[in-house]
Amino acid sequence: MHISEGVLSPAILTGGAALTAIGVGIGLKSIDYEEIPYMGILTAGFFVASLIHLPIGPASVHLILNGILGLILGWKAFPAILVGLTLQALLFQFGGITTLGINTLNMALPAVTCYYLFGWGVKKSSGRLIFIITAFAAGCCAVLFAGILVGFSLYLNGDAFLPAAKLLVAAHLPVMLIEGILTATCALFLRKVKPELLESYYG
Amino acid sequence: MDDFKLRPVFLFSLIIFVILFDMPAFAHKVSIFAWVEDDTVYTRSKFSKGKRVKNSPVIVFDSDGNKLLEGKTDENGEFSFKIPKQSALKVVLKASMGHMAEWKIPFEEINPEAVSNNSKPESDIKNSYETSSRSQTINSGTDLSALSESHGISKQEIKKLIDKSLDKKLSPIMNMLADSYGGGPSLTEIIGGIGYIFGLIGVAMYFTSRKKKKW
Repeated sequence: MHISEGVLSPAILTGGAALTAIGVGIGLKSIDYEEIPYMGILTAGFFVASLIHLPIGPASVHLILNGILGLILGWKAFPAILVGLTLQALLFQFGGITTLGINTLNMALPAVTCYYLFGWGVKKSSGRLIFIITAFAAGCCAVLFAGILVGFSLYLNGDAFLPAAKLLVAAHLPVMLIEGILTATCALFLRKVKPELLESYYG
Repeated sequence: MDDFKLRPVFLFSLIIFVILFDMPAFAHKVSIFAWVEDDTVYTRSKFSKGKRVKNSPVIVFDSDGNKLLEGKTDENGEFSFKIPKQSALKVVLKASMGHMAEWKIPFEEINPEAVSNNSKPESDIKNSYETSSRSQTINSGTDLSALSESHGISKQEIKKLIDKSLDKKLSPIMNMLADSYGGGPSLTEIIGGIGYIFGLIGVAMYFTSRKKKKW
């Protein structure tokens, strides 16, 4: 899901960076002292998730975990993902420094979107079935939207949109499934041991 | 305090999960490695930690950025072509989904003679032979010029033969280099990254706690 350096034109890169800056700003503003450790742990999770490679399908795909980040962190997923991607770019040469902005946008915006779309269901008060379904959908759709956004970035760059997006989404189908299950499992675990993590800040 | 007991549990399970799941391979960087044998350029493309990049376009540019030729990687992620032009080359791999990598081949590799000869024309064969043999350190002490005279083979032919057998001998080494190039991140880098994140938590907590105190 990381777009390499030198693929996109400067206009798209700066546009992505500007939108990411706004997202990070909103995220940083809402940070509370007690939330920093969760953010850190989730960032660490995001950082290593990209090393979990799924040997399925034609391309090289890996876990992203932006769904669970979005559910728990909301807008704070932006700074978390930015930090994770920066370290991935520096240490693993995934993506690149110039593409940090657009890559962060492509992964964090779906996270925030899923937070607003499905966050209502992932609460202690909601029924078990609804809880599982919304958590699964959040994990699943975060990857789906990210694929569509990456396809859209490539489209802005001159590639045809449909084939690029189709390929991305098709390649990430197994990831979507696994992330859905993973997100639901994590959310269930959190509901049992630390429900306030899911409750506190919505809206 | 429930919190403090459970937080490490969560973190620990996350790390265990990652380590267990991690086995197959690392992913998500593409690299291309190119080398020259005789008059052919070989390239090998792969995602980090091994998986070959199949059926992806490879484009070759010269030193001025002009596109010379284009091809596709085969099932093994390999693509080879005859040297299209006597100049430094840039090989660009465009894998799907926004992945790209490039490899530069300097002029010396394309045409070693031209560089060691430099301004001297072809006629000065003896000189060119001596310089190139010295630079390749294959001067085994045999008087090759005497040898060539006694057998009636020209020096250039000998040189060609040596070059060929050298290429043959070196090709497994080049293959090994191609395989080792662009491997996945090492454990040090992974642990280091996690360390950075924990450090950042510390910095962030320091600043937010200062903000709190002021109020």
